[in-house]
Amino acid sequence: MAQLTLKNVYKRYDNQEKKLFRKKKINDFAVKDVSYVCEDGEFIGILGPSGCGKSTTLRMIAGLETITAGDMYIGDVRINDLHPKDRNIGLAFEDYALYPPLNVYDNLAFNMRAKKKSEEEIRKAIDYVAPLMKIDDLLDMKPPALSGGQKQRVNIARAIVRRPGLLLLDEPLSHLDGKMRQQLRQEIKRMHHEIKCTTIIVTHDQMEAMSLADRIIIMKDGEIQQIGTPLEVYDDPANEFVAGFIGEPPMNLLPSVIIKNQENFMFTFEGSDLQVEVPKKYRDVVKDGMKVTLGVRPVDVLIASEKVKSTPVPVAIYENLGDERRVSVRVGEQLLSMTTTDDVYYEPGQKVQLIFHEERTHLFDPQTGERIRG
Amino acid sequence: MAKIELCNITKKFGDVVALSDVSLTVEDNEFFVLFGPAGAGKTTLLKTIAGAEFPEKGLVKIGGQIVNHVEPKDRNVSMVFENYALYPNLSVYDNIASPMRSRLYRKDEAYIKDAVDRVTKMMKINHLLDRKPSQLSNGQRQRVALGRCLVRDPNVFLMDEPLAHLDAKLRHFMRGELKEMQTSINSTTIYVTHDYMEAMSLADRIAVLNKGKIVQIGTAQEMYYTPCNEFVASLFGEPEINLIPAVMKTEGGTLYLRMLGQEIDLYPEEDTIDELTAAGTGDIHIGLRGNDIRFAFEKPGDDWFEGTVYANEPIGNKVIMTVDTGDCKVALTCPNDTVAKLDQKVYIRPNMKNALYFHGATKEFITRNNKARYTGKKN
Repeated sequence: MAQLTLKNVYKRYDNQEKKLFRKKKINDFAVKDVSYVCEDGEFIGILGPSGCGKSTTLRMIAGLETITAGDMYIGDVRINDLHPKDRNIGLAFEDYALYPPLNVYDNLAFNMRAKKKSEEEIRKAIDYVAPLMKIDDLLDMKPPALSGGQKQRVNIARAIVRRPGLLLLDEPLSHLDGKMRQQLRQEIKRMHHEIKCTTIIVTHDQMEAMSLADRIIIMKDGEIQQIGTPLEVYDDPANEFVAGFIGEPPMNLLPSVIIKNQENFMFTFEGSDLQVEVPKKYRDVVKDGMKVTLGVRPVDVLIASEKVKSTPVPVAIYENLGDERRVSVRVGEQLLSMTTTDDVYYEPGQKVQLIFHEERTHLFDPQTGERIRG
Repeated sequence: MAKIELCNITKKFGDVVALSDVSLTVEDNEFFVLFGPAGAGKTTLLKTIAGAEFPEKGLVKIGGQIVNHVEPKDRNVSMVFENYALYPNLSVYDNIASPMRSRLYRKDEAYIKDAVDRVTKMMKINHLLDRKPSQLSNGQRQRVALGRCLVRDPNVFLMDEPLAHLDAKLRHFMRGELKEMQTSINSTTIYVTHDYMEAMSLADRIAVLNKGKIVQIGTAQEMYYTPCNEFVASLFGEPEINLIPAVMKTEGGTLYLRMLGQEIDLYPEEDTIDELTAAGTGDIHIGLRGNDIRFAFEKPGDDWFEGTVYANEPIGNKVIMTVDTGDCKVALTCPNDTVAKLDQKVYIRPNMKNALYFHGATKEFITRNNKARYTGKKN
């Protein structure tokens, strides 16, 4: 079991590798000034779009990439120059890389045999992990006979069979389809709950990170944008990027100009008559004529039943999706969506008055994307 | 504009039966969705209408005319493909104009300009007319492909998963755009998708396909609230509907159900009892969606089922909790600030008002509360 610490870690691919990334500027770092601590037993998700440096970070932890600058520690041991095999790390990648001629049991035993463990010890270890990953019925089968989901279960079991201090998972679910994915997601979480091994999963799927991780590290362009629990990054995004990346359906992000109308501040939108009152908590930070990006989740846009300070606007789209209803209005070029689980119907064209949930309306600086707090 | 009729279509690829005795009628001006899992035969059916596949048996009628032996180009259909298939060497304008420059459907340049103007405004790509496809984002390419399809005035629009290649966020907005545009599409549209939200949002009617056969045809509301069997029920909604085996008994004239191996009597709604009795079996599956099960961590009463938390997955606006009851696992939708430890005790209680009842052996739909309310219901 282990605590992992990253201190100001940088990665720059050297010139030779650089040719592959010709579009990037010289001196561009794949990973920039990344620092964090994974507590012992914690499940961390590294989340970001492709090219954000999440896999590079994972590969540096595993020792598959050199570290350009900064320090990494497992417990108190600095691992920058430690050979990958001495880091006591279990790794599972997206593609399973199982040995096709060996059956599942021998695949699981392979690394332990290489380490000259006794057959009895190996049998014990496999007897422990096989039920955890629900592969105890498959031990005699060979990889070509397994489904994608089964192969990934074996792959993960192989990574944990030696009981590593740190388990690294790189997009383990992205090859699998819907239902299989959901099932394996639950199994991975339960496996972690059982063996309580410090685990890092890299993914581009926000739903996966949210449902698995204790804390999520969101990266973009090699830099950390925010670290927090799933609820924190959802409810309290640090900037516009995080706000837009987390959540499904996505947060409404609309460019807006705030105007002062007598005593009240109102959001106004280019190309639209819509005006909505700015929540009271922002009274001291907004000015007449200020440009902001308004961020509000579809669940936090409400259709008012009594009179409110908001211009009536026509419903553009009504969708009944069974589990919920989605209503959208046009705001200039964009759509502003709201969701509700109430059994209501709004005819397109019907005028509605919108209000935004006071506590969950976010403002962002349109230039920097940074959050403006009330 | 035309009515499309398919009569007993059978199509084989070697020994594989891709479509088996498929019959359906798409009304003039209807937005009709073909929905089902991968390999169900959706795209093959679409290609059969387009004329790109030739059925072994059955008739294809467009506007009352049998078109089995009509060349694809003469069927006057307009198709949009999953992978866009834009001409890389042509500008956006020329891509969209291309169907109107074909030999068969040639129009004069003034007409073309008007038509391109109209659809590019509708698709919000009128600022991109001079660009080549390589200079466009994925979402923009998709709009161009849709624009090229919509610029014509065909008998029928055929759309094969047009949003499948977009990322989740873009898909959400494009679905909205498409829905909004529907009123300005004045033609029959047949739309293929495997995304239930697209199907429910866009369709006037949906046909659910599985393994080359039609399973059910109806409105989105009928699919969701009165699915004809467990397969259809499981395709609509997220998390997937719980199908819980139950035993139905009658004692002293009162009908009750027991499930999850616990001795708690559940009483079906009054209006379902006749059909449940007529089903002639005690082996019932109760279909309960995630929203239709309440939960509590402290036992609220003796009529609550006991279980443990198997998984607790926050996904932003809600938490999906999976409860292990020993007999089977039940998924429920909880508020987004729900915190639960794995293996902790939890108590659940179904809302029988929204329960769907299925025949345990055949998996066929038996009944639900207030069934008539959903028949033919569109929104």
